[in-house]
Amino acid sequence: MNQSELMIALSELAVATEHEIQMEESPYGIDKKKLGMWIFIVSDACTFGAFLFAYGYMRIGAPVWGTPFGFSSIMNGMVMTAVLLSSSLTMLAAVRAAQSGTKALAEKWLAVTMILGAVFAALHLREWFKLFGEGWRLFYNPTGGAQQFGATFFSVTGLHLTHVVSGIIALAFITRGYNQGHYDESHVETAGLYWHFVDLVWMFVFPLMYLMNAR
Amino acid sequence: MSSNRELTMSSYVGLGVGLMLIVGLEVILTYQHLATRTLLFSLLCLASLEGFVAIMYLMHVKYERRILFWTVFPATLFVLIFLCYFFPDAFRMASMRLLK
Repeated sequence: MNQSELMIALSELAVATEHEIQMEESPYGIDKKKLGMWIFIVSDACTFGAFLFAYGYMRIGAPVWGTPFGFSSIMNGMVMTAVLLSSSLTMLAAVRAAQSGTKALAEKWLAVTMILGAVFAALHLREWFKLFGEGWRLFYNPTGGAQQFGATFFSVTGLHLTHVVSGIIALAFITRGYNQGHYDESHVETAGLYWHFVDLVWMFVFPLMYLMNAR
Repeated sequence: MSSNRELTMSSYVGLGVGLMLIVGLEVILTYQHLATRTLLFSLLCLASLEGFVAIMYLMHVKYERRILFWTVFPATLFVLIFLCYFFPDAFRMASMRLLK
């Protein structure tokens, strides 16, 4: 075999290997976007876990801890939970509509999800401003107890709020791209996975940050 | 896991109502004036139950291949448990400062 024949044989082998790689199915049975989102979710879960463990140790370790949340704030938190949970259901409806090919319906449910996300963010900010009005700051406790309350509360809920706002922006991009045909149902499904994760995190943030600090 | 029979939308709404009921139970527990550690443990258990339901049904892990569950969750739980386990070492490290 001369050099040119060897080169041809090698190039054919390369093409065949590339074809095999492209045809090989993911062992997880999901596309790479969704797998990438799962890896992000795992790393983000560890970030939230670290924040919540830090809060938990300080909460139990401090002899006097701030308990700023009256019944009205707890009710506000319950409404926020209901809103976020409803947005998860509307996201599911959007994914189902996208998978069944009913584009207009999927876009409608995506819009409802974004609106519910915005309502959640507004309720969250209302609670923050109520705390600011009572004198709570990042490093100041107006009741004279542990100053770490503000640091932990605003950090954890701020991180979660950032995720909600990022999710709304991401959903807006996905909806626009889906409408224009740049994105398909797999993009909607991947965005939905992120949105459900944001909901999942809130299921831990609400009892630990609000209920543990109820008056 | 790995079941292809996905829930209907009305079943998902029922699931959402169930999750809200657990949240209601958490609020009731909050006003029972339990000891801080007992309340924290109870709330964490209920939140974990909610989280498990959300992961399995809302995030569709129940309908994916088992390998996804076994790759992602044991490793994540391991990291989270060890984060919790080693976190108090931060306090020990503070007392080990070379420059006081």
